Amino acid sequence: MHFVHAVLVFAVTAMLTQGCAFSRGTLGDDIKTEAVSSIKKGVTTKTEVLALLGAPDRVLPLNGRDVYQYYRYDAKAGSLLLIIVNFSRLSVKGDDLFVMLNQNGIVEEVISSKRTENLEFRFWPFGE
Amino acid sequence: MLRSYTARISLLSLVLISVVFFGCSVVRITLNTPLTPEDVTFIVPGQTTLLEVVDRLGSPDSINNSTSGIVSIYRFLDMKYARVNFGYLARPWSPVDPDLIFSRTGFGTDAFQVFYDSNGVVVQHSFLRHVTEHPFHPYPF
Repeated sequence: MHFVHAVLVFAVTAMLTQGCAFSRGTLGDDIKTEAVSSIKKGVTTKTEVLALLGAPDRVLPLNGRDVYQYYRYDAKAGSLLLIIVNFSRLSVKGDDLFVMLNQNGIVEEVISSKRTENLEFRFWPFGE
Repeated sequence: MLRSYTARISLLSLVLISVVFFGCSVVRITLNTPLTPEDVTFIVPGQTTLLEVVDRLGSPDSINNSTSGIVSIYRFLDMKYARVNFGYLARPWSPVDPDLIFSRTGFGTDAFQVFYDSNGVVVQHSFLRHVTEHPFHPYPF
């Protein structure tokens, strides 16, 4: 009986999602929240940052300081292919982390945000 | 009579809707969260700090040197593309698959730049371009 239900649910789902397409692409490694939260301003050193997060994607010189930038991009695309009319929407968001180090190699500031957490598959291209 | 009239109107509406949407594609690509002037009204030059900006807008896409201190840049894109292939209308009667395509793309690229002094206080801020709402319309002329 359960098998019949499962087959029925699968068949209905397959019928309802005909003409749908889901695609996803990512660039870069996930920036771990625990690693970022363990970085302490005025305490953590450059070596410790590298051990926690690995080599940065970019190193920026900023008024005598080094800024390590880590980034990750996530893209989700949804398409409705309805033969005579097609709707597609691709949403791309990035997580960026900047670690500012002073001339002694100590963390001065940490700037981070996770935008990819709220990224969803969207199909409807109108509105927001 | 009334039923016949309603049926004709319904059929005509269906045909018109089909004609309008035949071979139609609508695509939208969004990079990051597009910012509007209303989103950045909280920034007051001389008062707001880098951390307050990051707290509200998230981390920027890039941070660079400027003569006054540093500049943070938030990049975003809201691209809209619409395409109609009127060739679909002739396909039932044509031995080949004809195409008559009208399409139009609006690259809504923009960036928001915030300049800070050496203490991390906002000096000035501005949008790179002024993106207006680009409607989905495929007419290219």
